[in-house]
Amino acid sequence: MNAFVKTLLYTSSLLAALVVLQPAILASVDDAQSFALQAAEPYVKEGFQVREDYWGGDLGSGEKKAVRQQLFKGNEYWFWLGTEVDRAKVSVHIYDSDGKLAEETDGWEKGHFAAAHVIPKTTGSYFIIVSVEESPEERTHWALVYGFR
Amino acid sequence: MIPFNKYLKLTAVALIGLTLCAQGARTPQHIDIKQLSKTVEDVVVPLPNEIFGALNKLGAVNWKEHVRSDKGTNFTERPRIALLLGTVIADGFVAVQAEDAASVKEIGQRVLALAKGIGVGNSITPHAKAIIEAADKRNWEAVRQELDRTQNSVQQAMNEVHDEKLSQLVSLGGWLRGTEVLTSVVTKHFSADGAELLHQPDLLSYFQTRLEAMPEFKLPIIREIEDALVQVKPLIDVGNARIPQESVRKINEITTRLGYGIVTRD
Repeated sequence: MNAFVKTLLYTSSLLAALVVLQPAILASVDDAQSFALQAAEPYVKEGFQVREDYWGGDLGSGEKKAVRQQLFKGNEYWFWLGTEVDRAKVSVHIYDSDGKLAEETDGWEKGHFAAAHVIPKTTGSYFIIVSVEESPEERTHWALVYGFR
Repeated sequence: MIPFNKYLKLTAVALIGLTLCAQGARTPQHIDIKQLSKTVEDVVVPLPNEIFGALNKLGAVNWKEHVRSDKGTNFTERPRIALLLGTVIADGFVAVQAEDAASVKEIGQRVLALAKGIGVGNSITPHAKAIIEAADKRNWEAVRQELDRTQNSVQQAMNEVHDEKLSQLVSLGGWLRGTEVLTSVVTKHFSADGAELLHQPDLLSYFQTRLEAMPEFKLPIIREIEDALVQVKPLIDVGNARIPQESVRKINEITTRLGYGIVTRD
């Protein structure tokens, strides 16, 4: 087999693998988003407007991700975290720009979901800390959505 | 002796208390923000109605006087269309606050035309239709939701074809228009809480960084915005201090000038 055919075969296999794998990767983050939106559902009835935009990615067990978010005093916010991985334990917490825990005490963690609630005392940047605490998977997809009223 | 029912209740209360305490104890009360620098995701730019909602809680706002009838020139340059599109979507949120069905419908049509001009019309058509239908029914919550969906779909469609920079200009256009309206309201009825809504230094830095990464867009309006953000930064980046009325007025002057520049031809 000459070098050209070898390169062609190698490239096409790589492309084929990408085509097959990419939807699977995307589907998982999309699934995580569906869980996050599912957690948000009951709050819509309470007048929360849930944003279409969301953050997502994957984390290993014990890993954290920080999301910076501008929050406005006068509004009330809920952040909902979802994962599609069964038996994964995820958490979400909110800190102010000085690193002080800023959330209310009614946040919760259950199954595929976690949620945190904040009524900002000041307008400014806040850090939403997303964490995969335990998971049977090497990487766990997550998605974070938020709503305000 | 404690009756069994009472004992059961006390045990349940104690267990719930212990669970909450355990959860509270696990959550650190303080974290080192500097250590997070490598794991921080980009900010999600707030929608104008997020700010308007907070503004509404400070007192009645006459939203009708902020509805804009001039929806801008027909541009051919894609960055200009993107900026204008963000501005027009923000105008949609103002019109919703004013409950002005005629303006909302007009904005729905305008959003569609602009999205077509930028090559993402297909993903917007159902949203534009839904905006117009919801405005007809005066279902303001549905209009708000569709405007959010519209912006999201436009940006997703742009990101899919690697036009992330245009997508960022849509956000910037919306943020500028939102800030223009916010400062206009607060200038007329000044309050420290209203002015505090301008405390968005990280968001401003985010836009500055994005604009710096767009040297290929040699349009005067883009450079004008870049210069204006430099002027606005010290006015809103005040730490724990209050933002004075004079700063609000200056930001309003700057954003009004930029808003005019975005909707009119150079």
